[in-house]
Amino acid sequence: MPILSLLIFLPLLATAFILALPTRYKSSYKYIALAFTVVQFVLAGICYAHFDASQPGVQDLGGYQFVEQLPWIRLDLGSIGKLEIDYLVGIDGISMPLLLLSAFVMLMAIGASWNIQKSPKGYFALLMVLNMAVMGIFCALDFFLFYLFYEVMLLPLYFLIGIWGGARREYAAIKFFLYTLFGSVFMLLIIVGLYFSVINPLTGAHTFNMIYMMNPQNYLGDSIFGWDGYQEILGISARLVGFVVLFFAFAIKVPIVPLHTWLPDAHVEAPTPVSIILAGILLKIGGYGIIRICYSIFPDMAALSNWWLGLIGVISIIYGALNALAQKDLKRMIAYSSVSHMGFVLLGIASLTAEGISGAMFQMISHGFLSAALFFLVGVVYDRVHDRNIYSFRGLAQLMPKYTGYVAVAFFASLGLPGFSAFIGEAFVIIGSFNAASVGTGLPRWMAIAGSIGILLSAAYFLWTLQRMFFGQIRLKGGESWANELNDINSREQLILFPTLALALLLGVMPSLIFNNLNASVLNLVSFIQQFI
Amino acid sequence: MNQLAHISPIYTALLTVAAPLVAFLYQALVGKRDQSGIISLLGIVCSFIFAALTWLTIWNHPVVSAQLTWFTIGASTFKVGILLNNLSVLMLLLVPTVALPVHIYSRAYMKGDPGVHRYWMYLSLFCFAMLGLVIMDSLLLMYIFWELVGFASYLLIGFWFTRETAVQANKKAFLVNRIGDLGFLIGLAIIFTQFKTLNLVDLFGEAGLIYQSAVTNGQWVSPVNSMDQIWLTIAGLAFFLAAMAKSAQFPLHVWLPDAMEGPTSVSSLIHAATMVAAGVFLLATVFPLFNESTLLFIATIGTITAASAAYFALGQYDIKRILAFSTISQLGFMMVGIGIGTWDAALFHLVTHAFFKCLLFLSAGAIIHEMTHFKVHSQLDFDPQDLRNMGGLRKYMPKTFMLMSIASLALAGFPLTSGYLSKDSIVISAYEWAQSKGDFYLLIPIILVIVSILTAFYIGRLIFKAFFGDFRIMDQVRDKLLDAPLHEASKTMLIPMFLLGLCCLFPVFSLNPFSYHDSWLMDGLLLDEYTFAPSHNAHVIIPLLLLIGSAVSWIIGWKWYVQQKYPLNANSLSLKAAFNQAYINELYQWIFVDGALKLARFCYWFDRYVVDSLVAFIQFIVLSLSRLSVWMDKHIVDGFVNAVASVTYWTGNQVRLVQNGKLQTALYSVFLFVLLGLIYLIFF
Repeated sequence: MPILSLLIFLPLLATAFILALPTRYKSSYKYIALAFTVVQFVLAGICYAHFDASQPGVQDLGGYQFVEQLPWIRLDLGSIGKLEIDYLVGIDGISMPLLLLSAFVMLMAIGASWNIQKSPKGYFALLMVLNMAVMGIFCALDFFLFYLFYEVMLLPLYFLIGIWGGARREYAAIKFFLYTLFGSVFMLLIIVGLYFSVINPLTGAHTFNMIYMMNPQNYLGDSIFGWDGYQEILGISARLVGFVVLFFAFAIKVPIVPLHTWLPDAHVEAPTPVSIILAGILLKIGGYGIIRICYSIFPDMAALSNWWLGLIGVISIIYGALNALAQKDLKRMIAYSSVSHMGFVLLGIASLTAEGISGAMFQMISHGFLSAALFFLVGVVYDRVHDRNIYSFRGLAQLMPKYTGYVAVAFFASLGLPGFSAFIGEAFVIIGSFNAASVGTGLPRWMAIAGSIGILLSAAYFLWTLQRMFFGQIRLKGGESWANELNDINSREQLILFPTLALALLLGVMPSLIFNNLNASVLNLVSFIQQFI
Repeated sequence: MNQLAHISPIYTALLTVAAPLVAFLYQALVGKRDQSGIISLLGIVCSFIFAALTWLTIWNHPVVSAQLTWFTIGASTFKVGILLNNLSVLMLLLVPTVALPVHIYSRAYMKGDPGVHRYWMYLSLFCFAMLGLVIMDSLLLMYIFWELVGFASYLLIGFWFTRETAVQANKKAFLVNRIGDLGFLIGLAIIFTQFKTLNLVDLFGEAGLIYQSAVTNGQWVSPVNSMDQIWLTIAGLAFFLAAMAKSAQFPLHVWLPDAMEGPTSVSSLIHAATMVAAGVFLLATVFPLFNESTLLFIATIGTITAASAAYFALGQYDIKRILAFSTISQLGFMMVGIGIGTWDAALFHLVTHAFFKCLLFLSAGAIIHEMTHFKVHSQLDFDPQDLRNMGGLRKYMPKTFMLMSIASLALAGFPLTSGYLSKDSIVISAYEWAQSKGDFYLLIPIILVIVSILTAFYIGRLIFKAFFGDFRIMDQVRDKLLDAPLHEASKTMLIPMFLLGLCCLFPVFSLNPFSYHDSWLMDGLLLDEYTFAPSHNAHVIIPLLLLIGSAVSWIIGWKWYVQQKYPLNANSLSLKAAFNQAYINELYQWIFVDGALKLARFCYWFDRYVVDSLVAFIQFIVLSLSRLSVWMDKHIVDGFVNAVASVTYWTGNQVRLVQNGKLQTALYSVFLFVLLGLIYLIFF
């Protein structure tokens, strides 16, 4: 069974259904979307259950699982050679957990979209297209295919923010779109450069196959990204330029400071489900891209530049946390906290130790559903009174005790309370990056110590928010009418939140559920890069 | 019974920990429907029984440990397991022994509170976390439970969450503890880097990795790694930072006095007897890691804490705050015990302190309970915790008075009490240690002696002000009340207090009331050897000195507070400074809190006006460039095309005039072109 293709293209079928059904059945769109997403989630679950954790993956195509390879485009270009583009999908320990996460977050997003009134046909159709694109990104092993999914992803997001968003939605949508496009346009140049540098050893033709790009033997000696006597662009090693350009393309997604300003605007203006997808999946594409593409195709440059990556990570952690501390808008605060938490991912990746990279992967998974839960929680109160200002509320614990309970659990889970998943991620990022100096990857120990300050600051902004909004005597900006509007959360909302937070607890107590599947791939990646240190 | 004895201590220890967890889960599930707390009480009773069984099998027997694989990350495998040695089973027994009376007491104390179901839930969670902390066999697991006790403490301090002060206090407590947690985390990172394991048995067990590592040539070398020797000191200081926060050591002690916003029963269990002592327990566990300079630092901080907290206690009026500062001060004593290398003495004091401090808080709770009832009853507005509103309570609450006095004597280190044994063990050891080190080090035992006398004085002040003299607000209500204004606490509260009172006396710990060396507890923990020689004179002189000093201080206290011959000005600078804790809180607020907020606001300003402006600037440039191209397109590119067109048009227009049908014009043009042709032929 071509399980990955099913996983990727099922949503497209859903889009077709939704578009074909006349508008008078518009109440059924959400059920169609839900049904398809549930099937997808089950398929992702099957992938998880049948995953062979001992396979290494990364730069070894034989170590990938559920691989499907079809020749897609074959063009004879005369003197330039043959154009060879494959439909090549497969997963290893690094992509599989993210695939499962995406399916889960999509399910949450559909649940959060239950009350969408504005043109549901377009909304759910776009959501399903987006769903297809992100699944494709995590599965694609051909760079051309990857790029295709990567660009397709932008289109539905642009419209989802621009049409269903808040007051400044157009501004936010265009900002988001241009930022990402800026990165990916240059990525295209590097892809073309790589294409002309790499030869498929079996056919002798140039190829977009990412796995071939990871093997130094497949490079033409005198090509632009060739390994022999590095070529130069403007006096800088071409491979370094390639690495840096790809890194920035993905770093915009992560996002790193100072390329993060699209994120608060996009999050604040996007409707709740889109915020959930942005935080839960989109940011992970950045981290995934750095591991899968930057690190695996340019391992030599990864070993060379990890000091800078670590520095960017530390700056993002602290700067994001300080910004979160200064926010008055709850959603913006959580958006900045994402910047801070994703900084840990970068720091962990930069450590080039097994603990650090595993910690970073774990942090991505954990942040995926925890930030989704946080944005969902903001949506709960925004749905009721259309206000998100922290100072508009006080003493909510008395009005909405269950909601407060969920918020408190989500906040504590996010600030890294042991027993929840974020703790494992952050702790191992710190331990791994501390260990880096002993392994000799060139990441100094002070970075680990500086990064840990982010853990303190995250406690500060979450607890302060808890104190300002939920505790104390009731005082609402909207007075009595708000008090009537602010009902405690209903069963649909609980149905979404409970599994999410339960998952955070489960992974916090049994991290082996993720680590077991990661280990082989991470160890392979680390030893692959270690050769170049 | 025989059958029970054969159960493996591993299982009894696990059941000890699991019982409160089950109670917590039960209470979390039923919520408001069960307010009795009977399940939590049952849970702690089970815990107590199993802990006692575990203790009986393990104490003075070989160490037992068991492990299961937890997860593998990269190439390192982490295990979850428990370690039962004398130190851990002692703590394992101590926690339920103190928690059980507190649970019973709480049933009366918290009765009628609308949120009492949360109270039971949090309390069980705390017991679970604390018990887990003491038996875990790896530093990572300890760290997990370490933070969980902090979390439970956060929940309980903010139990009355509608009170602004309570939620401020719990935030402060959690954040200050987070600073310590960072220390713990960095300590973990150093240990993991150096030894590739976090397991306590592998690290600190017999011939553990710690003992196989040494400092040579400025490098700290372990069997698997080596790094600069500075990291050995940093590791020690990092763990001490963790202990400083949890055990409220100067300058991170600020959260504990504020934590008194929680219910008094909670203060007694968590913020006096058990959780705050976790720092001392941690240091005893990782003790082999400390080098000379770290130990000296620990002893110094302990001394400063003991002295400063005793000074602050002198100026307080709130009954709970006095006890809170006294807790901090006593924790300082324990830290000195660690710092001078006698962690068995520190643990001894930890255990005795747990009982008498718990009793002191419960007695204070009984007083506050009665004062609050009186406040409601008499409809007066006063602070039921303020000593200045009390006085003469001896007449109304004689049993509470008796029990509190016993606990106070133990705190002051009066002979025949447990406190006498444990406090002397620290002070005397400190003296012996200082003697072996040099004269300058004598400062530490001297300060400790002075602090001990101050301790006797401030606790005497509390007793005198609360129980002696006349009931101060009686005058305002004398005619309104027919019966006695205050009553003895209920039996449910008195019985647990009585049990704790028994544990404040010497026979529980040593059959010889005057020598701590005979205590079973010290025997069990027995360090192989102290690093310094014993001094026989010190064993006589120091207790005598303390006794005389305490007696003198009580005589003075009696004169000042009971006979009302108070010679000092209450508004004097030194007393005001003591009352305001030397303005440390204000200083922290100014530097750290306001500083961090200012920095945060600056970052946000920077983000909006610098980083985002850069984006706006790029946008501006791109738009300007496109406007320029539009202008170019319109005026230059298109202008050229238009110019060509208009020139052609104009020429055509001019030439058109020729075609007017007149022969003269036609001939004239022919002539003109012939002429032009001739000119061309001639000149070119």
